[in-house]
Amino acid sequence: MDRTATANQAAVSRAMNGSLRTKNRLGAGQLPMHLLLGLYVVISLFPLVWLLLSSFKTNREITVNTWAFPSTLNFENYRAAWESANIGLYAWNSLYVTVIACFFTLLLSAATAYALSRMKYKVLSKRVYSFILLGLLVPPGALFIPLYRLVNELHLYDTHRALILVYCTYALPITIFILNAFMQSIPSELEEAGIMDGLGAAGLFAKVIIPVTMPALVTVFILAFIGNWNEYIFSQLFVTTESLRTLPTGMATFNDGYRTNFASLSAAVIISIIPVLLVYMFLQRQIIDGMTAGSVKG
Amino acid sequence: MNHTLRNPWVYALFVIPTLLLYGLFFIYPVIVSFIYGLYQWDGVTDKVFIGIDNFSSLLHDAIFLKSLGNNFYFMAFSLVVNIPLVFLIAILISKVRRFRGFYKSAVFVPVVISTTTVAILFGVLYNYDSGLINQVLRLIGGESWAREWLSDPHLAMLSILIANAWQNIGFFIVLCLAAVLNIPKEIGEAAKIDGVNGWSETWRITLPLIRPVMFVMLLLTVSGTLKVLDIVQIMTNGGPFQSTEVMSTYALKIGFRSLQLGYGSAIGVAMFVIILIMTAALQRVSKSEEVQY
Repeated sequence: MDRTATANQAAVSRAMNGSLRTKNRLGAGQLPMHLLLGLYVVISLFPLVWLLLSSFKTNREITVNTWAFPSTLNFENYRAAWESANIGLYAWNSLYVTVIACFFTLLLSAATAYALSRMKYKVLSKRVYSFILLGLLVPPGALFIPLYRLVNELHLYDTHRALILVYCTYALPITIFILNAFMQSIPSELEEAGIMDGLGAAGLFAKVIIPVTMPALVTVFILAFIGNWNEYIFSQLFVTTESLRTLPTGMATFNDGYRTNFASLSAAVIISIIPVLLVYMFLQRQIIDGMTAGSVKG
Repeated sequence: MNHTLRNPWVYALFVIPTLLLYGLFFIYPVIVSFIYGLYQWDGVTDKVFIGIDNFSSLLHDAIFLKSLGNNFYFMAFSLVVNIPLVFLIAILISKVRRFRGFYKSAVFVPVVISTTTVAILFGVLYNYDSGLINQVLRLIGGESWAREWLSDPHLAMLSILIANAWQNIGFFIVLCLAAVLNIPKEIGEAAKIDGVNGWSETWRITLPLIRPVMFVMLLLTVSGTLKVLDIVQIMTNGGPFQSTEVMSTYALKIGFRSLQLGYGSAIGVAMFVIILIMTAALQRVSKSEEVQY
């Protein structure tokens, strides 16, 4: 009851203020700003909407009249894309590789960041930390040839393990960077309480540090997940067997074969976008905050 | 507190697995890249040591120089077109009172879509007959406005740049917006009292105060455009006639298609060095003009 009353009062006072300031609001140029932003949003979203409409059309319909709505809502293209493009299998492969790589990235980087930020070897830790941060400067594109040979020599060529190991490793520098910064800010009183309760280093890590670090862990998990899910070139270089391909590589192969079959291609693209869009809609806030965290203040 | 966190064995256990992986898949390939660069090698027969010949050949390799030029074209376009657009949209979003959350979410949608998908999507949009872009051009200007976007050597690079901008701008907008909204309110109020308002407030107060983010954006743009690969490879694979070749696609072709592992590695090393120099130069410039709230 109380809350409703306050809300009502607020609404009334807002309305009064509003009526006093209406002229000013429009006069200050809000409308042109909304028009510009609206135009930009249309440019951002319209290609996807167009693709969605195309995915229900026949190839003839797309060529003859790009603008019209599809004559019928037929899912023929989706069936064709799903069956001939193996989208389901590729998506499963991507999910498998992505999730396992993310798990190991989080485990290793949390442990390392913990040791580097909380344990008592200051000089050594600083050296190790800067050594790992060097990785941020190296473009993976400069290392294809030695990596390819290394993967072959370790008998990992054409396996998902190759991708898992490489994805896990290449996410480490940025992940350790973010987690280390977060763990530095944890007050040491928390650990002291844990030590009183008789916890050792491993116990402190698992029962004190990990729960407190959860928000940062979620952020780096999402970052690593999107990165791995979308990764193209390593998967292209290290995996050749059709049934082992990940979604981006599989899509690129499908693209090469179906360049003129827009109807099927549109459907395949829509299928590949849907999971990411769903994840985005549910986790919007964390994704956006996670991706901008650190860089704004840093 | 002390002895619990002072056990060297525990410390090693927490750090060594990471260092092993990092050393094996990161540091070792970096070193090997430098070494391969000194050899002539097809990966099958014995390596022949040729010193810095690979590196000096780069300076006379017309295709490498063309690809380096394309990387710089990519960078220049992103700096001159994308970044001002990013500021404009971010500042507009920060100034509107309604739908701010909606704009923020909507502009970010292209960012979560994979580069492969963006490349395919734009391949479809750019199609000569049925692509959306030519259809729009036909609608407003007639048949003569339609173009072969990806197979015309003069337009292919620009077409890729537009696709790349469409995908990436949203990320920078949200980054920039976060910085703008982060500026303490008192500064804006003080400015109003001093009679600074509207767009002059943007120019004289907001822009200077978001310098740290501008620096991050510059850094990401410079390093991102120097190492760009996926979008080019899927949309044109460097063609037509090397008009969209970039350093990464060229290194891949030399290394994996013509099996010149030494020369391919040398291109990789050159890329690494160029990125390093550009980043260091940027960092130096930014240090000399730091700001404080």
